[in-house]
Amino acid sequence: MTVAAHGRGGWLRDSGIGTQAGTLMIALFLAPALLGLVAFRLVPIAIALVGSLFGETLAGDLVWRGLGNFERLLGDPNVWHSVRVTLLFNLLINPLQVLIAFGLALLVLRPAPGIGLFRAAFFLPMTLSIGLTAMLWDILLNQHVGPVNALIAQLGFARQGFFHDENQALATMIVIASWKGCGYWMIFLLAGLAAIPEELHEAARIDGASAWQRLRYVTLPLMRRPLAFVLVADTAANFVFFAPVFILTSGGPNGATDLLMFRAYETAFTFGDWGRSLALSTIILLIVAAIAAVELRLLRDDGTQAG
Amino acid sequence: MKGAVVARYVALSVILVLLVAPLAWLFISSVRPASEIFRWSHEFGWRTFVPAELTLQNYATLHEIGYWRALRNTIFVAGATMVLGVLVNAAAGFAFAVFRFRFQRTIFVLVLLSAMMPFEGIVIPLYTLVRALGLVDTYTALILPEVASGFVIFLFRQFFAGLPREFYEAARVDGATWPVIFWRIAIPLSWPVVVTGAMMLFIMQWEAFFWPLVAAPSPDYTLVQIAIARNRSMEETAWGRMFSATTLACLIAIVPFLVFQRFYLRGLTAGGIK
Repeated sequence: MTVAAHGRGGWLRDSGIGTQAGTLMIALFLAPALLGLVAFRLVPIAIALVGSLFGETLAGDLVWRGLGNFERLLGDPNVWHSVRVTLLFNLLINPLQVLIAFGLALLVLRPAPGIGLFRAAFFLPMTLSIGLTAMLWDILLNQHVGPVNALIAQLGFARQGFFHDENQALATMIVIASWKGCGYWMIFLLAGLAAIPEELHEAARIDGASAWQRLRYVTLPLMRRPLAFVLVADTAANFVFFAPVFILTSGGPNGATDLLMFRAYETAFTFGDWGRSLALSTIILLIVAAIAAVELRLLRDDGTQAG
Repeated sequence: MKGAVVARYVALSVILVLLVAPLAWLFISSVRPASEIFRWSHEFGWRTFVPAELTLQNYATLHEIGYWRALRNTIFVAGATMVLGVLVNAAAGFAFAVFRFRFQRTIFVLVLLSAMMPFEGIVIPLYTLVRALGLVDTYTALILPEVASGFVIFLFRQFFAGLPREFYEAARVDGATWPVIFWRIAIPLSWPVVVTGAMMLFIMQWEAFFWPLVAAPSPDYTLVQIAIARNRSMEETAWGRMFSATTLACLIAIVPFLVFQRFYLRGLTAGGIK
């Protein structure tokens, strides 16, 4: 359970075995993975940064634009609309998913008859990719032939447009992405909950703490790290939300699902403006980095105040 | 206390229905004849989930959209990524846990940062790189970028750092080389992390959409997710086939997942996510 704790003691340095491996041996172990990360993570970031300063002529030649791509992006009201939609999407979907995932984890944590079945069932939507999830729900929610609308009509309400309604499309995206994604984030929180010693809860119970008090004062403080991890990872994933927009809405109806990643894709692969698209990629990466930094800081500060 | 138990099972059951009913409807629709799929769609009831007639017609015509080719491609790409990824990332995790070298902490922090960065965010610059290397429409372009994973390196590093030092010391005293210690001692001990890492890499490739969409536009290298999406945009009415194609893709991901889910959880706990 506490394997991680041993590693921090620094026994490797004391025992001296760490020094017995030569530089060549260390390189042999490290090189394949590090080369992969440099070539396919670091280099693309560098390409985005440098490429965002260039443009292409009609003949396909590179021309220097300096910060021109960024100036044009920031002066474009459509881009600002896209930024607003992306921020709104993330402001809603990330807390919602973390909350649901945490609730699911608490529900299936304690052993009970049949709990294995529920756990397995909660994992199931995860095996559908986000693209397939979008296609399935597009049919389920279809205004004319979808069973969901059939149920809504039978209950006496008007049939809903969902993906095809300007006012519902973004919320519908959030719901179907959560239907698919919450089980995944639940796994990480479940692992965190399982690592909390049962004695702590027992002691709190004996002291007369209610279930709510035990959750608030025992579970939550110990879950800060897993929760922070899930929130940051979930935000990073949702900031580049792409497949459902590409497959179903192309940013519509009327710009309702105009998320930044799709705009960057369109700029490059539909309009062929690579410099502008790389500038958009750069902006997306910067926002993700900034949000991750803020989230980590917030959750850490919380810890020092409480402790 | 009894009320709490009942409430828990009610909540569990409601969520179960919400999560499973759409999948059940998908599976059932995939074995319905085309004429029946939407016959009862204007009324919601038991007919929604019970077909009057069963057929494998939707499966028999899958070759028309190049499905089997796409399925083979996906299994190959995901399988190769899984095998290469476990080896490469376990080796790096081992090095970070056991060896001491210059800039170790800095490099490890960079590895962790790379794990936090969403892959889709760099798809467009990565595409310009792969295009410049002439690798568009190759298995290499589909597999290699996903092999090295900061998160899997992290899981292995945490596990190996937690093993009692006697494991390594005894082997060193016996004269074993580091590759032998890694392959014969460390890897077999770390099997929960191996299973977890393998599942993560496999599912990541199985799910991938944005990268294979742009990196492999030709039908020869199309992966399942993209084949299904393309079929959708070409013929809006061929929904029966979409159901069968999606059902198969889902089933293939479900089988290893259900088998390994218990190890998955254990691997994450052993890997220090808590």
